[in-house]
Amino acid sequence: MAAPTVKVALGWSGLGLGVRRAALRLPGLVQVRWSRYGPEYQDPQTDKEYYRKPLAQLTEEETYERELRKTQVIKAAPATKTCSVFEDPVISKFTNMMMKGGNKILARSLMTQTLEAVKRKQFEKYHAASAEEQATIERNPYTIFHQALKNCEPVIGLVPILKGGHFYQVPVPLADRRRRFLAMKWMITECREKKPRRMLMPEKLSQELLEAFYNRGPVIKRKHDMHKMAEANRALAHYRWW
Amino acid sequence: MLKGMTRLVSRVHKLDPGRFLHSGTQAPQCLVAHLDNQVPTESPRAISRTLENDPAKHGEQHVGQHYNISIQELKTVFPHGLPPRFVMQVKTFNEACLMVRKPALELLHYLKNTNFAHPAVRYVLYGEKGTGKTLSLCHIIHFCAKQDWLILHIPDAHLWVKNCRDLLQSTYNKQRFDQPLEASVWLKNFKTANERFLSQIKVQDKYVWNKRESTEKGSPLAEVVEQGIMRVRNATDAVGIVLKELKRQSSLGIFRLLVAVDGVNALWGRTTLKREDKSLIAPEELALIYNLRKMVKNDWQGGAIVLTVSQTGSLFKPRKAYLPQELLGKEGFDTLDPFIPILVSNYNPKEFEACIQYYLENSWLQHEKEEGKKELLFLSNRNPGLLERLCAYL
Repeated sequence: MAAPTVKVALGWSGLGLGVRRAALRLPGLVQVRWSRYGPEYQDPQTDKEYYRKPLAQLTEEETYERELRKTQVIKAAPATKTCSVFEDPVISKFTNMMMKGGNKILARSLMTQTLEAVKRKQFEKYHAASAEEQATIERNPYTIFHQALKNCEPVIGLVPILKGGHFYQVPVPLADRRRRFLAMKWMITECREKKPRRMLMPEKLSQELLEAFYNRGPVIKRKHDMHKMAEANRALAHYRWW
Repeated sequence: MLKGMTRLVSRVHKLDPGRFLHSGTQAPQCLVAHLDNQVPTESPRAISRTLENDPAKHGEQHVGQHYNISIQELKTVFPHGLPPRFVMQVKTFNEACLMVRKPALELLHYLKNTNFAHPAVRYVLYGEKGTGKTLSLCHIIHFCAKQDWLILHIPDAHLWVKNCRDLLQSTYNKQRFDQPLEASVWLKNFKTANERFLSQIKVQDKYVWNKRESTEKGSPLAEVVEQGIMRVRNATDAVGIVLKELKRQSSLGIFRLLVAVDGVNALWGRTTLKREDKSLIAPEELALIYNLRKMVKNDWQGGAIVLTVSQTGSLFKPRKAYLPQELLGKEGFDTLDPFIPILVSNYNPKEFEACIQYYLENSWLQHEKEEGKKELLFLSNRNPGLLERLCAYL
């Protein structure tokens, strides 16, 4: 797991218990989103294969690592992190983003219904297609989901920078996690806002995912719009100082 | 000659002889797949399909295997009555495959040995949610349709006791209520399923519908059904007449009658329907239910009655209830007594393997992993309904 971003706010710089001392420490800023776990807490290892390896086969580093973990404090694994073969971190993250008011059951059921809808639509296409096209049609909902989100990720983003009393939209390279976040956020907002009244979320989401998979549709358009804006504002790129 | 050759081939390959007799559109890939898989080792991959598509010939050796029903047959035999998720599966896979299971085989054995001179025997399929009661009933109905029985199939009796928009006071009996929509829909599906019998069976009474229309004695049953479909007001009475005539004439031996009701516990439960003055209606005040109750009594010969009790869709019954006594209540149980109960349980390991194999063959289950299979086993507890829902999104 990458080092989490330090969420900071301007104000009183009192440091409470368990504040993570991360690399980025801007003076005069204090963290607002922080974890109760201190920096000494290690992430839990949920991979079954790690524990199934017989002790005789471990290399020196691995034995050292194991001994070290015995002395370290480990965080509790969240309920959604399983050692299931079918678990997908991207899908879990998307489900969390779709969740409203902590209703994980509803979000998860919507997600599973979406995957099922995607699968059924692809099967329909498969049966209607000729033999040569059948080889090209992808029927795995997980791969379609990943590819669709990858297609929606912007390469470059815009950041408002204050200069001379005005905010300018400056083109900026985005970190991987920001791109993934934006792709998912755009997908969810698109489905929530542009959905016809009586259409259910799984149907709309499956439609949008399939369109994004084939590189068409409103979310891809939004990505292209973002790219065009960045291209238009490329003169302002000098305002970026990092 | 073909049989001899196939027996020789099968002896060489040590396979089931029945396998080669049918050649459907599925056969070439199936055969090739199975020959390739089975010649080296028999056990690792479970056999999920059989080429034996006639339910009459299903036996112990076919347990766990899926047999194919052609789409045309599906449209005629099952215009209604298949579970909605199964209908979706048929549409997705472009084929209808039903698994042969022990409870259905047991029932088939009893039906093959029925004595039509004796009163109709009642069989009740019961089991927990998602174990396959409705699909077993559909297997039986397919068998009876192939054997040329007259199928009286009520797909879900629970639909008749709840959510009825238009309740009319019955024209025949002022105390009872009519349900025109449900009755007309059922009549349409009944007509599709039993076209050939409707012209052969003759009505034995004169029925007057209103001042201008009446059905004479000796006219075919098709006329009654047409009248019910055309005049939706008289649909419930048409259903009542159909049931009465079939019951009377099944003993004569012209045809064999199968009465198949899914969710028969609705007949003796409570309804959620109210009169205009907001007082609750008892099930016997609904004309459809009243007539159906008469049908389910075993005072007629020349057929069989196969029933299912289910909690899904039932009203005011606890979720965990699945035994006939709990679901039917005292009144229902006493009316149905004596009946033959048949328990439909979760898949056994072989059936589970076969189901997973079937999904893998159709590429429905996209992740083929040994660990995944164990997980599915754990999560679904070999419950067919749960397994189907789990595999849908994987």
